[in-house]
Amino acid sequence: MATTDTTPRENSLEWLINKTESVYTLPIIYDRLTEVINHPRSSIEDITEVISKDQGLTARLLKLANSPLFGYFSKIDSIGKAATIIGTQQLQAMALAVSVTEVFTGIPENLVNMKTFWQHSIACGITARALAIYRREANVERVFAAGILHDVGRLVMCAAIPDIFGELLVAGREEKALLISLEKERLGFSHADVGGRLLEKWRIPESIAEPVACHHSPDAARKFPLEAAFIHLADIICKSLGLGFSGEWVVPPLELSAWERLDIPANALAEIIKHVEPQLSETTAILRGSAP
Amino acid sequence: MGKILTDNLASGMILGADVRDRNGRLLLGTGTILSDRHLYILRTWGVIEVEIAGADDGGKGHNSAITIEPALWSAIEKEIAPLFRHADNTHPAIMELMRLRILREAAHGNH
Repeated sequence: MATTDTTPRENSLEWLINKTESVYTLPIIYDRLTEVINHPRSSIEDITEVISKDQGLTARLLKLANSPLFGYFSKIDSIGKAATIIGTQQLQAMALAVSVTEVFTGIPENLVNMKTFWQHSIACGITARALAIYRREANVERVFAAGILHDVGRLVMCAAIPDIFGELLVAGREEKALLISLEKERLGFSHADVGGRLLEKWRIPESIAEPVACHHSPDAARKFPLEAAFIHLADIICKSLGLGFSGEWVVPPLELSAWERLDIPANALAEIIKHVEPQLSETTAILRGSAP
Repeated sequence: MGKILTDNLASGMILGADVRDRNGRLLLGTGTILSDRHLYILRTWGVIEVEIAGADDGGKGHNSAITIEPALWSAIEKEIAPLFRHADNTHPAIMELMRLRILREAAHGNH
């Protein structure tokens, strides 16, 4: 009797996700936090109670809230105060941002240097956030989180298909070819697809997952094209300036429709970047702690 | 009255218009005489430029103090060309990012 084989084909997108989703999971506390924030009758006290159970998370959230990134005058000395001043949705996105760098351990260091990888990701998050602030967007923390997460698909590839991804990295470097094009040619999908799918599995809000999935094709974003455009441009800015390194040796093409959607004058970029640079090292130290 | 980039402000200048945050909340009112502390607030809140009383509109331009020898400029330009080979270097945003990269390389003194 013939059976229908539902196992995903080796090296397919689903296969990659299935292989890694049990290894790379967000801390349980993030799920609890999402649950309590989404609950219609939850209070600031409920949210505070959940976060306070994790001392590491509490400390890092407070450090971030008191860092130059926020620039508040009065000291934010409790999660309750942070939730009140910054907002609960924003706090949720910040919790994601400070949790995720610890999730990916055991990635082969010969393929990707975790220090420069997170430098690029965090620079992209800060830059995207600065672009969103320039545009006076309401929730800039989810743009920050999406920027930090935008390349996690590459980490999944490093872990699940190290041999193939290693070849792609070498080809990208030697031919100065676009790594994302090489990924698509070889695998039929890109690190952006992988990142988007992983975040979906993690039940991360679509306002963060879709911009990650569409950061090389912001026009394809159905619900959050503006957020996708922030990440798209921030990624290009960070690669142009050499802030960190995530495996891509060249600056990816700028999508014209995304640039027009952002409606940011080119001569404002220098000013925006000037605000980003002083925030890089401290934010990186807070998010990565003592990691090498 | 004209707009001045936050980075080019100095204490003692007088605001020609209210400065509001992204939610429309008032940060600093018209007529405020800027102190160093005010400059700090404006920077940390991501305010890019403000109206200054008595400034002419010519004050908006780049206040670039860095000058680079043309030979050094073209050497760096040549060096970073491969990085931008997949980008449209006639697009204003890409041209600006190339310029900033060149300034950055020159400032870091790697040349």
